[in-house]
Amino acid sequence: MPSLLRRTARGFSLPAFLAYLAVILLVALVPLVTRKPLILHMWIMVFLAIAQGAAWNVIGGYAGQYSVGHAAYFGIGAYTTMMLLELHQIAPWYGIGLAIANAVLLSVVIGSITFRLRGPYFVLASIAMAEIIRLATLHFKDFTRGAEGILLNGIPPLETPWFTVDFVGKRPFFYASLGLAVLVISVNWFVQHTKLGYYFQAIREDQDAAHSLGINLTLHKNLALGISAAFTAWAGGLFALYVRFIDPNIVFGIDVSVQVVLICIIGGIGTILGPVVGSVVLVLLAESLRNPKWLVQTGLASSDSSTIAFIEAHLSNAHVLFYGILVVAVVLFAPDGLLGLLRTGVARLKKQRAAEPRPAA
Amino acid sequence: MTTSTAAILQIKHVSKFFGGLAANSDVSFDVPLGSIMGLIGPNGAGKTTLFNCITGYYPPSKGQVLFKGVAMNGLQPDAVCRLGMARTWQKVRPLAKMTVLDNVMVGGLCRTHSLKVAREVAHEQLRVVRLDHKAGFLAGGLPIGERKKLEVARVLATRPEILLLDEVMGGLNTAESEEIILLILELKKLGLTQVVIEHDMKAIMRLSDRIVVLNSGEKLAEGAPREVAENPDVITAYLGEAVHA
Repeated sequence: MPSLLRRTARGFSLPAFLAYLAVILLVALVPLVTRKPLILHMWIMVFLAIAQGAAWNVIGGYAGQYSVGHAAYFGIGAYTTMMLLELHQIAPWYGIGLAIANAVLLSVVIGSITFRLRGPYFVLASIAMAEIIRLATLHFKDFTRGAEGILLNGIPPLETPWFTVDFVGKRPFFYASLGLAVLVISVNWFVQHTKLGYYFQAIREDQDAAHSLGINLTLHKNLALGISAAFTAWAGGLFALYVRFIDPNIVFGIDVSVQVVLICIIGGIGTILGPVVGSVVLVLLAESLRNPKWLVQTGLASSDSSTIAFIEAHLSNAHVLFYGILVVAVVLFAPDGLLGLLRTGVARLKKQRAAEPRPAA
Repeated sequence: MTTSTAAILQIKHVSKFFGGLAANSDVSFDVPLGSIMGLIGPNGAGKTTLFNCITGYYPPSKGQVLFKGVAMNGLQPDAVCRLGMARTWQKVRPLAKMTVLDNVMVGGLCRTHSLKVAREVAHEQLRVVRLDHKAGFLAGGLPIGERKKLEVARVLATRPEILLLDEVMGGLNTAESEEIILLILELKKLGLTQVVIEHDMKAIMRLSDRIVVLNSGEKLAEGAPREVAENPDVITAYLGEAVHA
């Protein structure tokens, strides 16, 4: 199997890289094949989830610090971008840059407070940090518009010397979010194949041992969190521009933090493909429950299907329940995530094949 | 000191208090360059605490640790390691979900940014401890004897000038212990200074150039192995006082 399944991949493999490129190219062709908005919407949501999951993977998967407060960075990204655009007329391509800077700054503050703690205490502190920011955003109405939220009126067209991008319809967001997902996955690969990744993983496995081997714990934990926060904020900014409305509960809510962690747990923590698999599963599940119409659009279900009607009537808010069931199932039956399951499956097959008696010549 | 070699490590009046309890009180000794210093004492004598004070895990409550003549007070363990002092753990700490090779590479990366260089260093050190045949195995799956060797290979990869070994033979069988003893002597030949905590008296007598005995956090005796073994205070500390009927 390609090294993407393993926790510690080694070296650059040309076939794997070409396969990766081919998949990206194929996916990039999707908007040329279909114009159905709900289908493009699904893809965009999956890409944004991959970007968030892969970003969390840097701190949670590689460095092993289970932050359940990533809504803080997602929300800071969304709010910085939206406030700059709506309240100060600063174009989002600069806005997202500032959003990233803001998130990294915030990560240094949060890191310096929470990294003193280990294990469950760190998790609780990270949740508390995100909640503090959510409540502050609700409270300081004059600055953030509070619970009223921010509605986007329009995004100015992006003019480059070669072409102009109008942010109408789903297509520009499809490519923007695809690009971001690819970028964060590449960052994961880069982390796994450098000194940084070795140091992060050593910290995950045993902090004291890592410390005694010359690893500066504070520096490397903060680096991991900073990288993670930067891309989470980027995803947040893009999300805000895409959905065109944010309020504190949408972008700073604890379900944002939890979903990111679940994506990685379900897919496989600390692997490059884990967040991708987890995102596809979780987003398809959540969006199908919230808005089963897309199944009709893709032709997977007929418009008068009783299942669709049942979901719409009874399960439209049940995605969190299903998250819970999924987590229980994964923890019980596949503690290394779906990828782990695949990995052991492949290993078992190989063993079986090796054990089979060879036919006599 | 009878030899003219300079002390690479100087422990000067080190004390460590946990609340009212003195885990170390006023411990002083010098470790000459290139020698093996044995550190012995009954359970709870403060041997591991002293290691922790020397390597930066605890700041000493009083006193100083000089490494190559420079005071190390307040330095964090990672800085201590980069200065060239490495330690192993009494309870081994393998990076369980990483391979044996990756474990040693983490040590090697202390001196380089290149994975390639670190990998070469790691292979080299795995050969030194004779664990190269397990390079691709997950560290968490190794038996105790090999975990101890891995621990040594990993700190060796940080290119230390002095090595602090905390009971590397604990839990090993005779054959495995013998291998470690030969390894320690081999490292000494290569010029590596070592401080060895060990419970096995036979091993410590064979290995050490000098021995420091700790008891209840205080230095009870210091000297050549034979001197220490014949010291009545040491015998009392280990065996209890003789009963005079």
